[in-house]
Amino acid sequence: MCDKPVASSSSKEGNPQAKPHREVLEGPGLTPDAAAAAMTAPSRTAIRLTVNGVSHHVEVEDRWTLVELLRDQLDLTGTKIGCDRSECGSCTVLMDGQPVYACSQLAVWADGADVQTVEGLAHNGRLSPLQQAFIDHNAPQCGFCTPGQLMTATALLNTVPRPDAAQVQQALVGNLCRCSNYNAIVEAVVAAGVQQGGAA
Amino acid sequence: MSEAVQPLTTIGHVTPRVDAIARVTGQAKYTNDIKLPGMLYARVLRSPHPHARILRIDTSEASRVPGVQAVITHETAHVVWGAGAVAGGRQYNDAIKKTTLQRRYIFNNPVRCVGDTVAAVAATDRHSAEQALALIRVDYELLPFVLEPEAALATDAPRIWPEGNLCLDVGNSAAPVVSEHGDIAAGFAAADQVFAQRYDTGFVHNAQLEPRCALAHWQGQTLTLYTPSQGIANCRHDMARDLGLEDHQVRVVCHYMGGGFGNKNQNQDADLIAATLSRHTNAPVMLEYTRRDDWLGMHGRWPTVQQYKVGVTNDGTVTAIQLIGYSGMGPYRKNAGGISGLELYACPNRYRSLTPVYTNRTTSGNFRAPSEPHGVYGIESMMDDIAYKLGMDPVAFTLKNMLRPTEEQPFTNYSLDACIAMGVDQFDWQARRKVIPGSDAGPLKRGAGFSFMMFRAALGMSSAIVQVDARQRYTLFVGVTDVGPGAKTTMGMIAAEALGVPLSHVAVVSGDTDRCPYSVGESGSRTTIMTGMAVVEAVQDLQQQIAAHGMPTGNDVLVASATPAPTTDGKMRQCFAAHFVEAEVDTRLGTTRITKYVAIHESGRIINPQTARDQIRGAVLQGIGQALHEDLLYDPASGQPLTTGYYRARHLTHLDVLTIEVHFLEVDDGYGPFGAKTIGESGIILAPAAVANAIFNATGKRMTSLPITRDKILGAMG
Repeated sequence: MCDKPVASSSSKEGNPQAKPHREVLEGPGLTPDAAAAAMTAPSRTAIRLTVNGVSHHVEVEDRWTLVELLRDQLDLTGTKIGCDRSECGSCTVLMDGQPVYACSQLAVWADGADVQTVEGLAHNGRLSPLQQAFIDHNAPQCGFCTPGQLMTATALLNTVPRPDAAQVQQALVGNLCRCSNYNAIVEAVVAAGVQQGGAA
Repeated sequence: MSEAVQPLTTIGHVTPRVDAIARVTGQAKYTNDIKLPGMLYARVLRSPHPHARILRIDTSEASRVPGVQAVITHETAHVVWGAGAVAGGRQYNDAIKKTTLQRRYIFNNPVRCVGDTVAAVAATDRHSAEQALALIRVDYELLPFVLEPEAALATDAPRIWPEGNLCLDVGNSAAPVVSEHGDIAAGFAAADQVFAQRYDTGFVHNAQLEPRCALAHWQGQTLTLYTPSQGIANCRHDMARDLGLEDHQVRVVCHYMGGGFGNKNQNQDADLIAATLSRHTNAPVMLEYTRRDDWLGMHGRWPTVQQYKVGVTNDGTVTAIQLIGYSGMGPYRKNAGGISGLELYACPNRYRSLTPVYTNRTTSGNFRAPSEPHGVYGIESMMDDIAYKLGMDPVAFTLKNMLRPTEEQPFTNYSLDACIAMGVDQFDWQARRKVIPGSDAGPLKRGAGFSFMMFRAALGMSSAIVQVDARQRYTLFVGVTDVGPGAKTTMGMIAAEALGVPLSHVAVVSGDTDRCPYSVGESGSRTTIMTGMAVVEAVQDLQQQIAAHGMPTGNDVLVASATPAPTTDGKMRQCFAAHFVEAEVDTRLGTTRITKYVAIHESGRIINPQTARDQIRGAVLQGIGQALHEDLLYDPASGQPLTTGYYRARHLTHLDVLTIEVHFLEVDDGYGPFGAKTIGESGIILAPAAVANAIFNATGKRMTSLPITRDKILGAMG
């Protein structure tokens, strides 16, 4: 048992009768400069980017992430925030064709980029073969990871038109599904590849 | 009497979800996707200490951050979170909330674990709210802390509550929960051999992908709450109780939610904090938890210690089972802390003592089959071990000892023998099992494990409304939310079948307490069987109206409702399952790879074969994660949690999984909607036990601690 106060002086450790240790908690790494910064307006930058084929000229706060820009400013809420720290893949979008975690890209870094989100997969109301395969194979359970799974799988199918299950698992390793519906997701991507791979 | 299922028109056929297109196009609106005019964003400040008294909080600097509209702390917000300290909601007991001595507030002083809530800020944007959090100054008096249940019961242990660390029961008395059947002493006296072993299991976070959030909006004395919920009616009732309102003053809305697995059953403190901030600011408030907030501020499966003693005769008959169990509840008793499994055995002499204990870890609560997977792991590891020590096949040992119907306790039907027989065949148990555990010669060792269960499928009260208009359009109103299994679709399919119309003729309205009647909630695997029965009965009422009055014409609408509370005529109603696993252990690295997994389930009639199969597959994989990886580790010196996230808790990824083979034995026992039973929770119950038994069969080493991580296997191999 090592039930000690975190920051007490050593001679008093573990003694509930000890004189209270007092400390002032401050936020991690908060300096007087940072405190002053909190009181001033955040800096902003004008950027241009293309999202799902539509060009946008927007002024963003330098602290915004790409997923915040998409969800809060462009109303593209299909892209989800699951962890906001590059662990789960719920926020995956395609940036110049490559899957990226939009939670871990600053919006200003997207200046000049071509971004595709889940809202850009269907054309004129027609689902992509991958989206249809997700429906046919019950790939979404709660559905929260689905947009990210779809985007990474779209990037895979663009480069490997008929992936096998092992290739799909390898490509999607950065997209977690806590419903653990992994079997159905892989089956859907393989089936979509078989369907569209014939034409490739 | 049970009978083979008769084919139906809609039910039993693979059916895409009614909301499938919204789910694959990004159009499905989850709580955090909703925006209201003038909406503020909120963040919560949490304790960095495992146990501390707050001496002073200075929010003055935080309040001056541009955009900040409100800062609340324990000094300014005194809301008791009823469901936070004794399991809440209509399905439990409101009276307890009024009498309990150990109340949990939305902000507590002292704070009792790292992550306990300290303050909340609402601001015009989330970054300003975060900056303000960092400027709240708190003086803490550090208090001694304790992390382990057994240590917390020591007489000199730090006290987390004035009444001590043994959780109080509903009558405010501190005593283990004891259940006793038969004569335990006589049972041990009748045994030829008595075996004893201690098992322990870790904390498994629910870890749903959608972090907790809540959007609260007051209009006069009426509160609208958008929140991810597994039970909108229960959440509404909890909110009304905690805020001193009538139920009808609260509207809860949840059309899509990103998983919960038991941690979104009732209202959560996030809902109350958002409502309080909205009250203070007179604006809609969206409270967002970060992933770390969610990990420390929601809950996971309680860690346990299980000390078993089992008596057997030399022919393999169990004569006595004793369990002394401890469950670590964290600093608040959010749920029961149960350890199930003994009741799977016919042995008449059983004694179980359960002690839920307060610790300075984060709070424990319901996770998919709250009492079962860890308990079944313990008891079935114990029994597997005894079978091998007696030189018996564990399957033969189980067939000799498992609970069966008796004249005193009949079942609506019983399928365990059939499930086990099918699994033995499908898995090729005799070929895959090592008669001598650990007998593979090389460093890669394979073995096979097995476990079995039954799980409640009892019926109960819920409600549904169905209407038809002159264009013969049917609308079904059910207060369900789809937490993943597809409740909207299932309810629509049951209605379509009962009405004799295609599913496309039935619109399903759900997820809104102002539009839908009471539903039991997506917990306890109850929606399909309970709300499904209400749908069946509402349709019967509607059909009687149509027979009496004809179909409506012009502007007329026929409306029918039902709130049945069906029983099973004194019979036990259970779903049944047997799981068979092959595992390969690399004894040089300590790693375990699952190489074959066969799950046999009898869940009555299957409504939608595809979603049913995937409930089992997903639950099995969650159970494998519990068996091999997931735990919330703490640094014993500092009381700091170390594995608060997917990466560190090592959740299963695409690369960790194999295809789970699922087989359903379909039976119609004459109860439930078209004979349907429970599915959602049942799939997770058996994986930890079956995996652990397979590792034993592969290595010859009994793994007595979950998760079975590499270090534990290497330690056992010596």
